[in-house]
Amino acid sequence: MAEIAATRRPTLRLRLLRARWPWGIAFLVALIWALGVAGAFDRNLVNARGFRLFSRFWAAALSPTLDPTFLAVVIDATFQTLSYAVLGIAVSIVIGVVGGLLSAEIGWRAIFPPRRNAPFALYRIPFVIVRAILVIPRAIHEVILGLFLLNIFGLHPLTAILAIGLHFGAVTAKVFSEILDETPQDTFDAIRAAGAPPLSAFFYGLLPRALPNLTAYGFYRFECAIRSSAILGVIGAGGLGYQIYLSLQSINYNELWTLFYALILLSGLTDLWSSLIRRSMGSTGTRLCVDVACGDPTGGEVPRPPVQTGFAFRLRRWSFPLFGVLSLFSLLYVRPDPRILTAPRTQTLFAEFVADLFPPRLDANMLETLLRAAEATLAMSIIAMTIAAIGGMVLAFPAARNIALPGGLGGRGGRAAQAVGIGVLLVTRTLLLVLRAIPASIWALVCLFILYPGIFPGAVALGLYTVGILGRLMSETVENLDERPLRAIKAGGATRSVVFLYGVLPSAIPQFVSYIFYRWEVCIRETVIVGLVGAGGFGRLLAEQQAAFDYRAMAATLIGIMALTFAVDLASNTFRRALNR
Amino acid sequence: MCGGGLKGSKALTPIFQLEHVSVRYGEVAALTDVTFSVHSGECVALIGPSGAGKSTLLSLLNGSLFATDGRVFVLGQDLATLRPEALRRIQRQIGTVYQQFHLVGNLKVVHNVNFGRLGYWSFPKALFSLFRPLEMERALAALQQVGIPEKIHARADQLSGGQQQRVALARVLVQDPLAILADEPISSLDPKRSIDVMDMLRALTMNNTKTLVASVHAVEYVFTHFSRAIGLRGGRLIFDTPVSALSREMVQDLYYNE
Repeated sequence: MAEIAATRRPTLRLRLLRARWPWGIAFLVALIWALGVAGAFDRNLVNARGFRLFSRFWAAALSPTLDPTFLAVVIDATFQTLSYAVLGIAVSIVIGVVGGLLSAEIGWRAIFPPRRNAPFALYRIPFVIVRAILVIPRAIHEVILGLFLLNIFGLHPLTAILAIGLHFGAVTAKVFSEILDETPQDTFDAIRAAGAPPLSAFFYGLLPRALPNLTAYGFYRFECAIRSSAILGVIGAGGLGYQIYLSLQSINYNELWTLFYALILLSGLTDLWSSLIRRSMGSTGTRLCVDVACGDPTGGEVPRPPVQTGFAFRLRRWSFPLFGVLSLFSLLYVRPDPRILTAPRTQTLFAEFVADLFPPRLDANMLETLLRAAEATLAMSIIAMTIAAIGGMVLAFPAARNIALPGGLGGRGGRAAQAVGIGVLLVTRTLLLVLRAIPASIWALVCLFILYPGIFPGAVALGLYTVGILGRLMSETVENLDERPLRAIKAGGATRSVVFLYGVLPSAIPQFVSYIFYRWEVCIRETVIVGLVGAGGFGRLLAEQQAAFDYRAMAATLIGIMALTFAVDLASNTFRRALNR
Repeated sequence: MCGGGLKGSKALTPIFQLEHVSVRYGEVAALTDVTFSVHSGECVALIGPSGAGKSTLLSLLNGSLFATDGRVFVLGQDLATLRPEALRRIQRQIGTVYQQFHLVGNLKVVHNVNFGRLGYWSFPKALFSLFRPLEMERALAALQQVGIPEKIHARADQLSGGQQQRVALARVLVQDPLAILADEPISSLDPKRSIDVMDMLRALTMNNTKTLVASVHAVEYVFTHFSRAIGLRGGRLIFDTPVSALSREMVQDLYYNE
């Protein structure tokens, strides 16, 4: 009875919790605060004198340098960037598979089956240890890892490869273990009930069922690795990113654009390969909750059976051998000499470096600096995400095949209208590709043409870059929407706009919101990328401390970054749950 | 043969023996004080409304679940006291057919059939077989017996429902157990496929003098395919009778009398 009464007249508290408008107000307050921190209200942000340089920069897009000597440099740099990404992913997959198997609950339970009526399950001990080891490399962005490794290896291929491999490996291990634990265990149990050893049951009943999801995720990480490889180049690890940075510093915009086109092409081809594979497997593979536990790991997608015919299927069958060939090529191309790992010089440098980090400088002065950096980082991420969320949502629909193309929701009958649909799709997708292919740190330097230095250009750069990523993720979400309710609304004679308003938006928005919060967590970490080129926040602090060889302060900053990351993960999780209620 | 057990078999160790068995999931009692035994060669049907405890009972018999109270003996061994290795040796002798088949869709049929051999194989052998299937003749013979030898290299998710249940049967065939348990083996099949599968199960037990314990929703099969019927309701044993003494009224009572 009491419950019925409660549903009839919700308490004020319940009504507040359910309502959406307090979230909107909270967001506006946060945005205004962030703009305040960025100085939007007390000084001029736009540097009008930079427009001449800015337009020169864009004009150069039409006349990239094409002389053979420079093209040779570009091709070499492109292969370097590709090789770092491929080898980095290879390392991360090894770490991810081993770490994933070791940190999956199901594996340990299979090896040490909990004894009946035992008060404590033995398998939890190794399981908890492995998970704990993987927490730290996961919390540190690959750019920071790269920065540290640069100190030890210098400009060596292993700097980029290990930075990508270690960070991606730890993230992949977490996701792999989650995929394994979520895979239905009925067959595994059935095989064991027939007397099979647990490991055999695991390899027959569980792993094959998890494999499509594992592969889809692996390919998603591969396209991320190309972007990371370019970003690592900017901080000095070599490849396209490095050349781009050099050309930008020497104000040679024609060369810059040649490098941009190479990077866009490389990134575009990888994205295309990855999305074809993932689509043909019936899973986007982009796990929403990469670093945090949350309730809906698939992001509410409707699972589809894997495609068994056509180009994408054949490509999928050849993808593993193709990746093997690529790895071999990369290995031969950059020839990362593993002896550097055991070289005495490396050991001395590493020992010195670690000794220099301790004890982290955590005095009152430092704490104040860290708090200010945290404030700047948070503000930067909020402005960046506002740009990214709006841009992503606007561009996601024209970039989705089931909206823009003929036969889609927005596609119209006539031949001219169809051509317009295809054109809109291509233009939006290219725009998204360009935004995400160029490293955020380069966008930040470009923004500095017309914006005064500070948090704001960093936030805009990060926002633009994230639009490219978020727009693509969101358009994939739209393409994966359950079409049955849409068809039902259409069958009732509804116009396109009604189908869009009542069918597409309501099912897309919750997933968009999830993606935005997920990306916010990533964005906090990525502020470091733009920070390193001077945009403020933790990244800038790190760069300054490194220039001053103040490693103990760097260690303190690292602790600060991790603390903020965990806090934001926690907040994002709470918000996401509250909003999805 | 399938006809109330071998004469004088009462003297032998029963295949399954339950003594005052109860199973509770937290507060919920799934089985309460159940006692019976099954001897070699018997065909036992478990019947009763949904939630009567049929699946729980079958899970007890193949060692994937343990009793909260009472003791379960399989082939003379108290399952709850066995170490994992010894438990697996007993479990090899018990084959189970499931309602949901439990096939792995993206593995070939031959691997799905070989699930039944994993109890006999070492782990390295099992791993090797995933790349180059071992004991193909055995798998092929089993598939021949269930009528789909041509599907041996097909992926399991390319098969129809009836074919998938045949693969599940072939899996039990290669396991070559002393007793077969079947949990609603036909409830996701159409009438024609159901008769095929039930005929096959009975043929298995008759030709190979195996023991069969199956839960069935379709009561008409009890009269045509089984020698003994055990009625369960609300986790309690209501009757345990030769099918010759089973009347329609008893079945009616079981399902409709609360």
